Amino acid sequence: MKKHVMITLLIFSVSAVLRADTLSLSFNQNVTDNLFQNRYGESDRLSNLGFYLDKNLGKFSLYTQGSYSYLFENPNLTYYVQDIGADALHALNQRSALYFSLSGRGAFYRADYGDFNYASINAFAAFKSYLSPTSIFKSNYTFEYKNYSSSLFDFSSHAFMISLDKFFQTKTTLKLEANWGYKTFLHPYQTEEFTTTGSPNSQGGKGRGRGRAGNQNQFLIRSQSEGQGIQVFSLGGLVAQGLGSRVGINLTGMKQWNLSGQNPFAYVEEYYAVENPSYDRFSWQGYQLGSQISIVLPWNIRTKLGYTLSVKEFPGIESFDIEGISMDEVREDTREQFEARLEKDFPAFSVFLSYYFIDNKSNDFYFDWEGQFFSLGVEWNLSLGGK
Amino acid sequence: MRKTPSVFLLGVFLSCLVPSLAQQQQHFYNIDKEIHIKGSIKDIIMEPRYKNSSPFLVVVLEDKENQKIYNIEVSPIWFFENDFHKGEDLHVTGSPYTTAENEQNVIAREVRFRGETLVLRDKHGFPTWRGQGKGKGRKRGKNF
Repeated sequence: MKKHVMITLLIFSVSAVLRADTLSLSFNQNVTDNLFQNRYGESDRLSNLGFYLDKNLGKFSLYTQGSYSYLFENPNLTYYVQDIGADALHALNQRSALYFSLSGRGAFYRADYGDFNYASINAFAAFKSYLSPTSIFKSNYTFEYKNYSSSLFDFSSHAFMISLDKFFQTKTTLKLEANWGYKTFLHPYQTEEFTTTGSPNSQGGKGRGRGRAGNQNQFLIRSQSEGQGIQVFSLGGLVAQGLGSRVGINLTGMKQWNLSGQNPFAYVEEYYAVENPSYDRFSWQGYQLGSQISIVLPWNIRTKLGYTLSVKEFPGIESFDIEGISMDEVREDTREQFEARLEKDFPAFSVFLSYYFIDNKSNDFYFDWEGQFFSLGVEWNLSLGGK
Repeated sequence: MRKTPSVFLLGVFLSCLVPSLAQQQQHFYNIDKEIHIKGSIKDIIMEPRYKNSSPFLVVVLEDKENQKIYNIEVSPIWFFENDFHKGEDLHVTGSPYTTAENEQNVIAREVRFRGETLVLRDKHGFPTWRGQGKGKGRKRGKNF
């Protein structure tokens, strides 16, 4: 109790000292029946407390946010994430603008996930221009560097995106998008052909129900003499249809190719609160199709229903059978995801309710799973500046 | 986590204090003059609106009922976050004011379009776009 009150008072003290313009507080309660996203579904409840502060300094603003997440069944996976950053918006003319941001993040997990503690730097630049009042060109560049507690995961990455859209009189928007990305694992390779690596602080009880076939390893890496970089390219499209101001429908499609390199990790256990080095945007090739309907219901309740199908192959990641023996196949997943979300703003706070159902079929026995994820959240947005 | 309610109550208590703190600031948004406009976008521009502030996204909207033209001040950052186009239908709730050049401007509090609702200001007229989304775990720029 004392600890939480102290943290809360600290947040308000900092906001007062900084004379912040905005202070947001949030509380989310999440429930899932498959925390580790594998065949042996394990239930857990996750409570999350967050805060956000920003200060507008004319042309740019400073912001920081913190998030503490507590897991009831796996308290040793409890974690805290802190972000700090600055951003700026610069108008080139009445039709074009640039946006820049530079941010840092620290993530701190308790013992069972200590290897995944990291500090990161993220730089982002975006350009947007109206080619005509009905057509928009956008591009952006993202740089990210992550330094993990276990240096095997350290990486830097670069990503470029360009997109062009066009709005038609039928209230239809068409959009095309291209992405290129390059990720370098800085030092994950070993001299042996295959190396099994367990967490240095592994204990008997660690990872209840997680390791495959009794294996308690959190990840496996393999040797590789070729380059350490993974290069991907994707093309995507969107068709959006407005049906008045209350209803919107959109369909999306995207295909991604692996141009070079492959994942150095043969296996990394899943934990949905952590970005998995073997399941991030650089780790796969394949395609993704999505549909979503957004409806503003009476009393201004915002609703979203969505369905996404993805077929992904993971170059460099092997598929294993029920005994944990390699099948000499590249892992391939076909995932169907259904999501529903409700949001409502009240005078002093906002609430949301969301539900995900995921059915992940995989040629890897361990990653053939289903899971449900349920979240309820409330957020207070306290504006401390002027109108 | 049994201790959470205490933090919750503290948050609620402090949220009650905030309006009184904010009242000391100069007001630009007049909640008593709020209007609702259903219209179609005629133009989209970025331009400076307030001293020491980033340029605003301004949507030129034609009221469907009386064909009046309004300049809707949306927010600085949402020039990037949302893609408005000429011809799209918007439903705007906001506070109007008339410029020296006799132009009708509206400070938007809420904008509804294509099944999305952008809440730009709270019920008291205080901007919510400053911290928009980040309290919900989103990164700035994620949707750019």
